[in-house]
Amino acid sequence: MTNLFSSFLDDYFAECDEHLMAIRQNLLFVEPYVNQPLLSRSILDKLFGSFHSIKGLSGMVGVNEAEQLAHEMESYLRALRDNKVVLTTEGLDALLSGTKILEEVITAYRIQNPAPDIVPICDRFRTIFTKPEAQEQEQEKSELQEKVELNLPGQSIPTVADTQPKAPKSLKLKPEESIQLAAALEKGNRAWQFEFLPGTEKAARGINVNTVRQRLQSIGQLIHAEPIALENGGIAFDFIVVSNADTDTFADWEKDGISYLPYSEQEIKSQQSTVNSQNEESENGRAGERESGGAEIKSQKSTVKSQKEERESGTTAESPRKAENLDNISPTPPLPHSPAPPLPFTVAPSNVVRVDLARLDELMQMVGELVITRSRLADNLNNLKTILPASHLRTLRETNLTLERQLRDLREGVMRVRMVPIGEIFVRMQFAIRDLVKETQKQVVLEVSGETTEIDKFIVERMMNPLLHLVRNAVSHGLEEQQERVRWGKSPQGKIALRATTVGEMVTIEVEDDGRGVNVEAVTSSAREQESIGADTTLSSETLLDLICASGFSTRKEADLTSGRGVGMTVVKNTVTELGGFLSLDTQVGRGTRFIIQLPLTLAIADALIVSVSGQTFAIPLSSVHEITQVPSADVTLYPTFANASVMGGEWGDKFFKPLRESKWENNEMIAHRGTVLPLIRLARIFNLENEIPGSDAEENLQPTLKKELNTQTNILQSINSQSLLNLVVVGNGFSAAAIVVDRILGQREIVVRPLTDPLVQVTGIAGATELGDGYAVLILDIIALTRAARIKN
Amino acid sequence: MKEILVVDDSATMRRMVMASLRDLKNVNFKEANNGLEAIEQLVIAPVDLMILDLNMPDLHGLEVLQFVRSHQSYTSIPIIVLTTRGDESSRNAALAAGASRYLTKPFEPRSFALAAQELLNQNLCQL
Repeated sequence: MTNLFSSFLDDYFAECDEHLMAIRQNLLFVEPYVNQPLLSRSILDKLFGSFHSIKGLSGMVGVNEAEQLAHEMESYLRALRDNKVVLTTEGLDALLSGTKILEEVITAYRIQNPAPDIVPICDRFRTIFTKPEAQEQEQEKSELQEKVELNLPGQSIPTVADTQPKAPKSLKLKPEESIQLAAALEKGNRAWQFEFLPGTEKAARGINVNTVRQRLQSIGQLIHAEPIALENGGIAFDFIVVSNADTDTFADWEKDGISYLPYSEQEIKSQQSTVNSQNEESENGRAGERESGGAEIKSQKSTVKSQKEERESGTTAESPRKAENLDNISPTPPLPHSPAPPLPFTVAPSNVVRVDLARLDELMQMVGELVITRSRLADNLNNLKTILPASHLRTLRETNLTLERQLRDLREGVMRVRMVPIGEIFVRMQFAIRDLVKETQKQVVLEVSGETTEIDKFIVERMMNPLLHLVRNAVSHGLEEQQERVRWGKSPQGKIALRATTVGEMVTIEVEDDGRGVNVEAVTSSAREQESIGADTTLSSETLLDLICASGFSTRKEADLTSGRGVGMTVVKNTVTELGGFLSLDTQVGRGTRFIIQLPLTLAIADALIVSVSGQTFAIPLSSVHEITQVPSADVTLYPTFANASVMGGEWGDKFFKPLRESKWENNEMIAHRGTVLPLIRLARIFNLENEIPGSDAEENLQPTLKKELNTQTNILQSINSQSLLNLVVVGNGFSAAAIVVDRILGQREIVVRPLTDPLVQVTGIAGATELGDGYAVLILDIIALTRAARIKN
Repeated sequence: MKEILVVDDSATMRRMVMASLRDLKNVNFKEANNGLEAIEQLVIAPVDLMILDLNMPDLHGLEVLQFVRSHQSYTSIPIIVLTTRGDESSRNAALAAGASRYLTKPFEPRSFALAAQELLNQNLCQL
């Protein structure tokens, strides 16, 4: 292919992504119709259209494998659409795997890998659906001729309009549309015929056929749309909409050139009779073909039936039911025999702007720089307060505050552009579960909630594989076999829940199953065998999580959550941590397992608490700060350390705990706080800052330091007997909470996070750096690493 | 200035079509994402050449073609049907319904541009 089109590769990939997403969604709608003759045509049309577009585009950019595979799938869908074949389980499976391979082909092209072999899948389609070439052409022709014939009356419409200018014009509903209309009317809706006269002036005002269509879709279901030639040579667009909306809603639209009339019953009846007669005609015309088609359907049905009998307990027979269960993301599909079509998933391409994520990163970067410049301005304003008259200073400060608010809005606006609904990846989970269910003979109900929760595109992309891994784990290891579930008095159907919620600046994603739970004993004994933990250590849930997330750790036994994975859980944990999130685990033997992932909404800019410790300034992300408090230093208790070689032996233990055993981590100060015990984190000790202020090595020696700090500087948390108080910032959540001892709290600021990518400057406990406007870099604390270290040693 | 209306439900495809025709002299492009929008464009302002995809949701390209040809004001607009479908029956149907040219995707940009230029010139002679 010519080079001209290679510059469209990014668009090609983006458009293919959109189509593949729509295909996946629509295939879920199709699933309940397996072996049912009445497949919703509108969904088949959508699927057909998607494959057709992929085929066309792939041909243009020269991705020949994708073009060929999309062509095979399109041909099968055409046959389904034209009722030449009935959708079988094999057919649906082929469509699903075909989609997967198609995606792989496109991805392989994108990353310049060799394309996967498409010959087997193409052969599969050819076996499912063998088409005599001649018959297809004939069919095609008759379909087209039908269209031509159907459209011929259109030429006589002006005369009809001549005699009855205000009467509803007879519209040419397609058979499928008439069925839709009848179904909607049966439910008590009313039908309206809208007419829109397009024009230059209206188009300039933004009133065009697309916006009119959107308006109509907002009040009900759009059944039919058609251009009409008016007697005066003009053109109108007529729509049939079923709606329960009050006429007041659209009476006003008349001024925009949208007139309406009730679509009369008579009209509908005559319409239906036309359709019927047309059907009869075409049936007569193609009687022979119909018959053979019917026979084909019957024979297929009987094969399916015998297959069902063969595998009574097999999954194939179950699949329609499961399909319904798996369909929770999408609006409930109708029962196969119901004539009402489900609302198909649509991507509105005309309103969507595709932007390269890198450009948004740049934009965010610029906003970040603006934030820094503004804080520099604020600092400069502060310096002016001795020189400027108060009134001038006040207006300047007000402007500065307005600027801050506007910047915050701008930042939120840019952030929103980067946000995508998490439902995008939840759909993929449905497919993963579907595949696994087929392999494992388990029944799974998937519950999805919060799929509209939005999260940064970058984070979504990175979380795809970890979530897939958790879901796969839940199905293959978490959920029990059916018989086992029944034995335990559970429903034979396993339940997996995917939930997403936004809390403040964090998004929580939960993957929960009601299976057997993590076998703590197996993990413990395995860990003992591998000498990761001491012989009589009992596991807390964080230690358990750390163990199953440790690379290379496995119980190597069937029937437990940790088996059968190589480094999967390690990847999950690492990805979550890299994204600045938390992973936690909640498991009960026999009741189920829940993984809770907390992620920041976005990465680039965050609110932070600025603190100083031993003269050094640090930023603590506000999203992880729970509380700021003071406690008397006398309340600090020292726990004896158990991190000695006899308890934590072995290679794994060494790898894991050795760094922590170094003296700076090894202090076990604890403090009682709100009914729990929090470990204290002394940054001065961890980052070797003691040297700056001599004599602060031990806890009792720290008091003079504190005294000095408090005496020389004003402390916002100062109290009467400040000398004996410790300023604590409680960070982390739930089990991994800890308290950081700080000298001063300098305030709260918006910070622009810049990761420290140079491995030479990477330090445990430091997540990145930021600039506060005075030109100095401030280190951002890695709360997860700090709390984890503080917890583990206890 | 010649107005070329590119009708295709794929934005990428529309851009590819326009890229292939960008070397034509004195042309201006208009786009339509679906059949109804294409017909509306004709009402809003005159068009000198229409590039029409066949397989579109709502209103099939063939229906657009038939409607346009049945309307006295638009019978003479040159229309290139540009479709992925390559088999003879749809070619015949499109030509019977009044398509000026029937070209298939993937297309070769240069010969496509030549066909477009030829139709634009023809239209000029008719006027």
